[in-house]
Order: sequence, then structure tokens, then C-alpha cells
Amino acid sequence: MGTIIRKELLDHLRSVQFAVLLAASFLLFAVNGLVFVQQYGRLNSNYRLHVAQAEQHPSTMGTSLFKSPSPLLFMAEGGEKNTPSGYYLGPKLTLLPEPAGTVNFKMPDIPELDWAFIIKIVFSLYVILLGFEAISGEKEQGTLRLVLSNPVARAKLLTAKYLAIISSSAIPLLVGLLISLILIGAFLPALMGPSNLVRMAVFFVLALAYLSLFAFLSLFFSALIPRSSLVLLVLLAFWIIFAFFIPDMSGIAAQRFSKVPSEYEMAKLVGPTIQGEVWKRIAGIQDRIQKGELKTEEDILKEANRAYEEGQDGVRKLYDDYDKAMEERAALAQRISRVSPAALFQYAAEAVSATGPTAEARFLSDVRNYSRIYDDYVLKKVGKVVGTSPWSFSSSATLNGKYINLESPSPQEYAGDKSDFPRFSESRPSLVDGLRHGLWDIAGLLVWNILLAGLAFSAFLRTDVR
Amino acid sequence: MLRTIIKREILEYLKSAKFLIGLGITLALAAGSTVINVQDYKGRLQDYQSASQELKSDRFYKRLYRPPQVLSTLIQGKDRKLGNSITFTYLNIPSTTSGYMGEGLSQHHRLVSGFAAVDFAFIVRVVLSLMVVFIAYNAVSEEKSSGTLKLILSNRVPRDQLLLGKFLGGWFVIMGSLAVAALISLILILSHSFIALAAGDWTRILIFMGLSALYLTVFYAISLFVSVLVDRPSVSLMILLQAWIFLIVIYPNLGTIVAQNLSRLPSQEQIAQQKAAAFQPYEAEQKKIQDAFGQAVRSGSEVPKDVAVRNVELWALQADLGHQVDEEYGRKLTSQTNLARAMSVLSPAVLFDQAAERYGRTGMAEYERFMREVYRYWQQHVARSRLMYADREAYKTAAAIDFRVPVESTAEAFAATWLAWLLLAFFGLAFFALGYTAFLKKDVR
Repeated sequence: MGTIIRKELLDHLRSVQFAVLLAASFLLFAVNGLVFVQQYGRLNSNYRLHVAQAEQHPSTMGTSLFKSPSPLLFMAEGGEKNTPSGYYLGPKLTLLPEPAGTVNFKMPDIPELDWAFIIKIVFSLYVILLGFEAISGEKEQGTLRLVLSNPVARAKLLTAKYLAIISSSAIPLLVGLLISLILIGAFLPALMGPSNLVRMAVFFVLALAYLSLFAFLSLFFSALIPRSSLVLLVLLAFWIIFAFFIPDMSGIAAQRFSKVPSEYEMAKLVGPTIQGEVWKRIAGIQDRIQKGELKTEEDILKEANRAYEEGQDGVRKLYDDYDKAMEERAALAQRISRVSPAALFQYAAEAVSATGPTAEARFLSDVRNYSRIYDDYVLKKVGKVVGTSPWSFSSSATLNGKYINLESPSPQEYAGDKSDFPRFSESRPSLVDGLRHGLWDIAGLLVWNILLAGLAFSAFLRTDVR
Repeated sequence: MLRTIIKREILEYLKSAKFLIGLGITLALAAGSTVINVQDYKGRLQDYQSASQELKSDRFYKRLYRPPQVLSTLIQGKDRKLGNSITFTYLNIPSTTSGYMGEGLSQHHRLVSGFAAVDFAFIVRVVLSLMVVFIAYNAVSEEKSSGTLKLILSNRVPRDQLLLGKFLGGWFVIMGSLAVAALISLILILSHSFIALAAGDWTRILIFMGLSALYLTVFYAISLFVSVLVDRPSVSLMILLQAWIFLIVIYPNLGTIVAQNLSRLPSQEQIAQQKAAAFQPYEAEQKKIQDAFGQAVRSGSEVPKDVAVRNVELWALQADLGHQVDEEYGRKLTSQTNLARAMSVLSPAVLFDQAAERYGRTGMAEYERFMREVYRYWQQHVARSRLMYADREAYKTAAAIDFRVPVESTAEAFAATWLAWLLLAFFGLAFFALGYTAFLKKDVR
């Protein structure tokens, strides 16, 4: 067994594929490290600036909460550059997204060059290139029957070939990861704490699990189809379908098949909601003025304030529903894309790196928790909590010829000492939380491995080696 | 003689398993992606049409919608990613479109970011180019390694004719595959009644197909060149696949990343400061006017005409000055994008994509035409709002402002992409010439 592995490994190490993979890995991971160092520096200084600005102006009218840049963006960026940099929080959980960082939307669409991308696309392809000839190539050269005429069990031979493919892709991967880490560690030593290093180790294991399934896939088709070039063609088709077709199509498919309302359908509700929740209430007040039920300006203003507050609750609920609908649609896209192992790997990588949509959801839940503390604070200082929405309203009424301005109430600023302003702190999910979140994705990767391993072994055991 | 060789080559390809499998995969992916993209277009079109019908402008808020492009069913470009609506008042004009929920609130990004387009352009760029590599990698090397090359050339077959015959034979097969895939996609698109293609669209599709043919020819010439150069088919396939992944995946990514890091963009704070600085000279006046305006409203008397008019003018001026800053920023984005394109100009895939987006009207050029028209509309809307206070009668009788984005002629689109054609043709010819000379000098024993 050891002999076979050594022979296979030496074969791989001498091949063109291996040399190019090593070079590509070197280049891509070096660029990854350098780009991240720059990017993180920029994100971090922006974050600090924003937080400092927010802290300088504590306000009972609303406060901005910012998301600290994830230190593991270089592992799996997870679309963070397009998500809001934080939220403006008003009393009663009025949320307005703060603009995302500077993104050049005119640029051609290219994926972030993070570890997950390099492994998902480039390494999986090279595993195929290392493995497609494993059996069909030997059969074409006639060496397969020579090998098997020796007392070598077929299962052992296949295992040896598998291990050789995995180790010859693991070497360039390790080299690449180390280069990236050295670059990042040299410029940002603070990021190389033990907890992050453990995450990276887990990530490496996940990467191997992902690459392993491509190794099994290659061995399976290599045993099944006798001609190497056909094996490669079929494998590349799978690669395109797994790495591009399914993950990219899932976004569109989710838009089409989702049961929750689309953005347009929600947008259509804004007008009617404002009409029903706000203007109807205000019209009711004007009716009552006409009928003489409201006699003093004080009464009118009190009623109007109440009407606006109830109305704003309704409007705010619409925006909450909208957020939930969009979350649900994005989650459906993820569920559809999980057909592809490349997507499983991507989500597992995001779970381990604590980035991506789940990190965004976690930040939002922190914001919601903070909102309660904030509302208590506002209540204590100002005496009442006035909720708003993205809209403010203004109307007027006349009482006995006197013009009365009816404006929707806005939160009040507390003029006194605000040194006891509650601090917002973000929770950092532990690795265990991450793994729990990515459990299904990791399990999915394992299932793919077991399934393809079974197929590869049964195909090879039955293959006619003559 | 040439015809015999071509015929033999074509027959050889048509019988081969790799061609059949490759074609099967290509057609399946082309059909699958087209069906999904057509459904997506349908959804976006319905949203656009009902938005134009139902979410109308009022006196204060003006809403304009960007229609989805019919050719996005073939070349999706940025059509899905860029927002479809823009809402403005005389107080402000946003610098970009957003989702229907409006600027700052829309979560459009959740549904589009991270999903690259899988469309006919993708099929050509990735799938068909890969098939080309598979068709051509052993065109010469196989004959050399199996020994048939010297047998053929021991007959009275001139070398150049043999290579030309081989080239054309494979080329016809590739063009045939492209045509079949295109036909299937087009049939799937045209079988939907909500899709109507204008004459201009057909010309654009034809030009796009021509571009696809040229793009595939470049890959074919590269493959043939390597096949002539390298004697072992398996080695030539490996080399070609490395070149393929480098040209299509790695190099365009690196070009963009380098461009992003070479030129810095101003931060949002800096932009806000620039906007504030631009309006600074008018701030005192605006405050004075607003005080006068507010006083009039509170006292219940009518706002003096000159105050009301100047109020609109100043707000609009502030928005316009802000817009100039946004425009300047937009130009910076464009120049960064151009830099990225220039860095990756050696990749046929980038050239192809850039030109294809232009023909599909799904690139930035079409978007910017739309935004220019939005600005023109906004200026007229400001003039109209001013009229509301300045001359009530004229305001009431004024005709509605119409909004129409002028259609870009196909000739214009073509003129904007000649460099891509030229470079692709150059790459194709250069590699063909290299392959040709290498074959003439080749030791065939």
C-alpha cells in the first residue's frame, strides 16, 4: 500500500498539473493576502471612524450602530461588501440601513478572491485534472492489468490512488494558505490569535472534505469510462454545473418560485398602508372636528399624535415584513443552491469564518436586543418613546378659523447629561455556534463523500481491467 | 483535395463520442439557462409594467422605472443587478437606481449579489470554449502520436492544405454547435408571447453571434497551435486547460483586483463634504428664505411669490450641485472600471463579455444613457416646480414631461466595440499563423 501511494504521489508531483497548481496557488493566495490586508485596514478605519462619530453624539432621537469588519473575510467574504455597514436605530426599533462601503458597481462582476473561492473553483478543477486519468489512463496504457496481476487488492489500489490525489492537492493548498497567512500575519498580527487559528484549521479540514468529493467523483468516472479524454469532459461538465450553474441559477430560481411577496409587491403596499394606517386616522380626526367632538386645540393635537403613533407602528410593520420577505427569499436561494456541493462548501466556510448572511442575521439580533435597552434609556430620560418610520407626515386642520399644524411626532432629544448612554456591543459567535449553524452543510459534504466513495469503489471493483 | 480533408474531418468529429457528449452538455445547459432566464425576464417585465401603471408619480415624488432589456434573456449583463426604479423630488436626485422599495431601504442586493449570470453569453464564454479545446487539442498531436500523420503526408497532400482542411473541418463543427445552441435558445425565447424582438434586436443578436463565432475561433486557433506544437495529446490537453482556466477565471479576476487597488475611490464622508462645500456659498441665503417661508406658513398668510420661487430654486440648486459631485464620483468609478478592463485586455473572455453586454443593452453604457435621461427629466421637473409658484396658470396648462430614453443604434454599439473585435481577430490570426508555420516546419516522423 505504502509503495503504491508513494509511486502515485511521485507521478503526480512530476506532472504539469501539479506544477501549475502550485504556481497558481502561490499567486492567488498571495494576492488574497495582500488584498485583504489593504481591505481590512480600510474597513477597520472606517468602522472606527463611524463608531467614534456615533459615540461623540449620543442621542435619544436615534443612534447609529455599526458592524465591525469580520477578521476572517479573507477566508469567506460571504457578500459582506454589499451588506449595510450598520443600522440607524430609532426608538421602538425603527431600523434604517447605513450605506454599504464603497463598492464600484460599474466593475465587471467578479467574485471575491477569498480562500473559499480559490478552493471552490480552482482547486476542485485541479483535483479533477489530477484524478481523471487514475484508472482510465492506466487502462489505456495497459498497466492496470499488470498492476492487478500482482497480489494487490483492488480496494487497496483505489484507496492508494485516492490518498495520492488528496495529498498532492493538499500540498499546494497548504503552501498557499501559509503564504496568505504569513502576509496577513506580518501586517495584521492581531488577527492571528488562537481562536482564529483554530477556525483556519477547521476550514482546512472542510476544504479537504470538499476536494475529496471531487477526487471520488474523478475516480468514479475514471473507472466507469475507459477513455481518459471522455472522463475529463464529463468531469468538467460536473464541475461547471456544481461550481457555476447551480449556485448562480439559484438566485433567479428563488425569485421565481418563492411564495413570499417580491420586492415590487411589498413596494406596492407602501402607498395603501400609509393611506390606511395614517391618513385614514387623520381624516377621522378631521371628521370629529367637523362634528364638534374635538373642541380645543390641545385635544386635537393629542388625538393627532396618537393617530400618527399608531399609524407609524403600522408603517413600520410593513417595512419589517419587507425585510423578512427579502430574508426569506435569500434563504430560499441558499436552499436551492445546496444541491451543489460547491454551495455546501461555501456556506460551511461562511459558518466557520462567521461571515455572510448568518453573521448579518446575528448582528441584527444584537441590534434588536440593544433596541430594548435603548428604549428603556429613552423612556428614562425623555419620558416617552416615540416610534417613527422612514416616513414623516404633516397635515393641518382648522378649528374655528384657526390654522393648526398637525405633524407626526418625532423623537425628542434629551438635553441633559448623557454620559450613561448605553453602549452597543456585538456578540462574536463561537466556533461551536458556527459549526452548529453549518452542521447541515458539513453533513451534506460528508454525504456526498460517502455516496461518491461508494460509487467509485463499486465501479472500480466491477471494472473490466483487460 | 481540401474538400476531401474537410469532409473527412467533419465526419470524424460528428462520429466521435467527445463531440456528442460535449454538444449534449452544451445544449442542455443552454436550454436550461434560457428557460430560467426567460422566466426571470417575465417576472421583471411584469413588475416593470405594473409599477409604471400603479406606482405613479405625484406632484412631489417623481418615479421613473428602468425597463428590463429583452436581450437580457441571452446576455444578462448587469440588467438584473442594477435597480429598476428611481424616485426623486426637486429637493434631491439620487445618483443610482435602486430596488422598488426605494433608495436606502431596498434590500435588492440580497437577491442579486453573489449570483453571476448564467446565460447564453456564459455558455459561449465558458462551455463552448471548453468544448472547442476538447475538439481541437488532438487535431494534430493525435495523428502524430498514432503515426497516421506521416502516412498522410507521404501521399501527395501539401502540408498547408492538410492543416487548412483540418482547421476548416473543426471550425465548421464548432460553428455548427454554436448555431444549434443559439437556435435552441432563440426558439425557447420566441415561444413566449410576451417577448417581442424588434428589427434592431435581431441585428444585435446577429452581431452577437458573429462575436461568439470570433471568440470561439480564437480558442480554436490557440488549441490548434498547441496541438501542432506538442506531440502527446494528453500533454496538449493539459496545457490547453491550464491556458483556459487562466484566461477565463484567474486573469480577469486579478486584473480587476489590481485595478481596484491601484486607484483609490473617495469615501462617502469625503463625498458628503464635497457636496456641503459646493453649496456653502448659498447656505446663508437658504436659511433666510426658509425662515421667511416658515413664518408665512405659521402666520397662515400666503407665502410671497419671490420667496416661494427662490425656495424651490435654492433646493434644486443644492440637489444639482450634489448631483455634480455624484457625477464626478461616477466618472471615477468608470475610469477605475476602464483600468480593470485595460488590465485584462489580453483575455478573450473579457473582450467578449464587454462587447456582448453592449449588444445586449445590459451593460453600463445603456444604464448611463438611462441616468442621463433621468437627469434631463429632473431638470424639467425643477423648472415645472418653479413654475408652480411663479406662474400658476402656465403651470396648469403645461404639457406633461415625457420620458423616453433614446434608442442606441446598432451602428453606435458596434462602433463602441470595434477594439474588442480587432483584438479578438488579431489573437485568432496570430495563433493561426503560429500554428501554420509551426506545422510547416514540423518534424512529422
